[in-house]
Amino acid sequence: MAGLAWLIPLLPLASWLYIGLPSHRASTRYDRVGIGAVGIAFLLSLGVLWDVIRGGSAAASFTWAVHGSTAITIGYQVDGLTAVMLVVVTLVSLMVQVYSLGYMHGDRRYKRYYAVLSLFTFAMLGLVLADNLLLLYIFWELVGLSSYLLIGHWFEDPANVRAANKAFLTTRAGDVAMFIGIMILFSQTGTFAFGELGELAQAGAISAQALALGAILLFAGAVGKSAQFPLHVWLPDAMAGPTPVSALIHAATMVAAGVYLVGRAYPVFAASPEAMQVVAWIGGITAIFAATMALVQADIKKVLAYSTVSQLGYMMLGLGLGGYTAGLFHLITHAFFKALLFLGSGSVIHATGTQDMHQMGGLIRKMPITGWTWIIGSAALAGIPPLAGFWSKDEILLTAYYANPTLFWIGVVAAAMTAFYITRATWLTFFGAPRDAERYAQVQESPRVMTVPLVILAVLAATVGFLGAPPLGAPFAQLVHFGEVHHLEMTSVVTWGVTAAWVLGVLVALAIYAGGWISRQRIISGLRPVYTLLKNRYYIDDAYDYLFVKGSIGLAYVVGWLDRVVVDGIVNGVAAITRWFADATGLFDREVVDGAVNGVADGVSVGSQAFRRLQSGLVQSYILAMAVTVVLGLAIFVIGG
Amino acid sequence: MSLDLISFIVLGIITLVSGYLVVASANLMHAALFLGLSFVGVAGIYLVLGAEFLAAAQILIYVGAITTLIVFGIMVSNLQDLKAGGRGVWARVVRNLASFRRGLVPLVAAAGFAILMLVIYRQSLWPAEAPPASGSNLATVGRLLFTEYVVPFEIASVILLAAVLGAVALSRRDDQPPAGSTGQAAPAAERKEGR
Amino acid sequence: MVPLPYVLGLAALLFSLGLYGVLTQRNAVRILMAIELMLNSVNLNLVGFARYLEPDRPGGQLFAIFVMTVAAAEVAVALAIILVIAHRRDDVDIDKINLLKW
Repeated sequence: MAGLAWLIPLLPLASWLYIGLPSHRASTRYDRVGIGAVGIAFLLSLGVLWDVIRGGSAAASFTWAVHGSTAITIGYQVDGLTAVMLVVVTLVSLMVQVYSLGYMHGDRRYKRYYAVLSLFTFAMLGLVLADNLLLLYIFWELVGLSSYLLIGHWFEDPANVRAANKAFLTTRAGDVAMFIGIMILFSQTGTFAFGELGELAQAGAISAQALALGAILLFAGAVGKSAQFPLHVWLPDAMAGPTPVSALIHAATMVAAGVYLVGRAYPVFAASPEAMQVVAWIGGITAIFAATMALVQADIKKVLAYSTVSQLGYMMLGLGLGGYTAGLFHLITHAFFKALLFLGSGSVIHATGTQDMHQMGGLIRKMPITGWTWIIGSAALAGIPPLAGFWSKDEILLTAYYANPTLFWIGVVAAAMTAFYITRATWLTFFGAPRDAERYAQVQESPRVMTVPLVILAVLAATVGFLGAPPLGAPFAQLVHFGEVHHLEMTSVVTWGVTAAWVLGVLVALAIYAGGWISRQRIISGLRPVYTLLKNRYYIDDAYDYLFVKGSIGLAYVVGWLDRVVVDGIVNGVAAITRWFADATGLFDREVVDGAVNGVADGVSVGSQAFRRLQSGLVQSYILAMAVTVVLGLAIFVIGG
Repeated sequence: MSLDLISFIVLGIITLVSGYLVVASANLMHAALFLGLSFVGVAGIYLVLGAEFLAAAQILIYVGAITTLIVFGIMVSNLQDLKAGGRGVWARVVRNLASFRRGLVPLVAAAGFAILMLVIYRQSLWPAEAPPASGSNLATVGRLLFTEYVVPFEIASVILLAAVLGAVALSRRDDQPPAGSTGQAAPAAERKEGR
Repeated sequence: MVPLPYVLGLAALLFSLGLYGVLTQRNAVRILMAIELMLNSVNLNLVGFARYLEPDRPGGQLFAIFVMTVAAAEVAVALAIILVIAHRRDDVDIDKINLLKW
């Protein structure tokens, strides 16, 4: 059965091709094709997993291109991690597609939506199965592309377009670094294959500096895709997409690809202590940093988004500290309960028509299924035993406790915050008195196609943790482990730390929001600077705007100036210099006088003017530049050689 | 000086001179016809080089199809040449000496390219003598085309199909003319440009 | 027998003629012709090398055939585009074709 694994990504591919082909027929049957394909893929994945559990494995590759003495291959490999990921991806994708039957019903681009979902599923499955870095990179970009398409699904609203662009460009920043990393590793070893690469790295065949650099650059790709600090800014904005998409891509699968990459290339990382330190610290910083921002969000999806960033940080933290099994186990459990939470939030948004939690309240009386499944999901996220999150988070913190006490305490604090913000979200949404009576009156439970996936995911979120539960022998660790299977001894510090964290978080949240014993207003006014800082996302987005937008404006000015001088001759050039100086001083003046806010707005518009000039659109100029360059190169060749 | 070399030089001069006139002649239609002559010259060089099939294909495709197509296109669309192309190359260079894009820089780039390539060819080592051509190579070309190169061959056919579809789709007149051009009724003859 | 550098030299001259045309002409049809000249010079290179380096297995000639095929496709589509533009605005000055610019 494992030998059939290559078939799994091909099913969604076929479905994408079928749905995506242009057709004038306005049929809604396309959804069945997508669901059918991913359903069969899910059954196949189960078969593969069963095979792998019984000790099977499979791998095959064929030569794609030969360049000199290096052959580039395409191939797949199936091991424990792959098999588990296959099941998770196909299952979540299946649930999301079924759920979308209800959520996206009557959407203008229903067909396109299902086509891109299939494309995404194909790309993600390919990414999971790929046996070398180059192939993984190809699927990696495909995943990014389909994410872009889905975030911008409702592209009539410019804000959604901006969010899609932001997601695409931000992850691209990481991808460039990742590609350089791949090339460094390739230049050192002459292979892209994970297996060989890992063996060579473990055997010390790569110099320590090159290995560390390659691994860290590789990790930069994961930072972009998994929304780790400092490239996390795109994920909260990506919530502009349809909610089922957020569940599939921005919670369960795509953002987990970064974690998966680190897991897949783990031998490389493990051979470089520096890279492991970077992974662990970035993970730890992200975990606590995103958790603090989740504390103050009013938008229910934003809470989940920051929570996802934070949990991904957890996974990185675990992986970076040597907890291979722990980090990847959290990836699996998180996929289930976060998909559940997102779909639950989608159900709420579908019913109320708003994402603002301050306009909800008391919904559990109207939407019992959504409410109770949400509570199961949030309990799993908060780490309340015996639900899924408890077991996986426990493992990570246990690893941290032995490896790095500082990061352990960061993790515990983040866990407490997690419990706090998810309790807050739960209470504001489902309990208390309805704050918007008009909305409340119209609310009704979502249709069955939406609630059934919720129930299935809730059951999984509640039970999947037992796969990694040490009292039950941790079957997951038997399947996915690095080196020898080993169990860390549970210590009372970790047990009490974790328990105290979630109990404290839940109680404080209830005290503020349910009991009203602590006034919300008083906390906000007491911690005004902190609150403002958090509300503004630590000003990181603003800083990026300032740094990169402004930076490119400056560059554009210089380039645009050069262009104008070359084209229009020196007379114009003198004028241009004067104007440029005037513009620059004017810009500076406006900066100082009007402050940063106005400056950013002006800068963007002036900058686009500059870009306009840079891109003259005259193809002949471009060709001329090419020709002159070639001739110069030839001249250097002739004179020099 | 062998017969081969003499015919090569004659054909080369034909090719280059008519190539120059493609760029330089004032009349667009003349330029198209010189283009055809230049293609014929290249076909002759193919023959000298022992590529009979290619020479035939060159005549068929370039002279027979592409040149005809361009001539036809010029006639159908009633294009008059633009003034800038209407003068001789040298007059244009002198007139536009100051312009970056149409003045000396492209001339220097193109001439520099040719000169540098010739210098490089002079400096390089070359096989002294070609192996003798072993009769017609038509059979070899045919066999290669349908064995080793069969995949590119099929892809080429798909490209051609796509190009035909694209050309038809582009040049088909919509039933509803765009709002701006309601005054100009499309003559019936122009409906057939889609090849 | 024609020495190989002669063939290559002729191709280089033809190529730079075409290059000059592509760089300086404003009429889209003429640019198209110049491109054809460049493609022809490339074909000359391919055939010349095929004759000298692998006379019994002329892969270069096959490449020339594929270049011709693509050139034919290119001319068909390019002329169709030019005709559409000419019908709409009676002018194929590429400096003025800027509808999609910016």
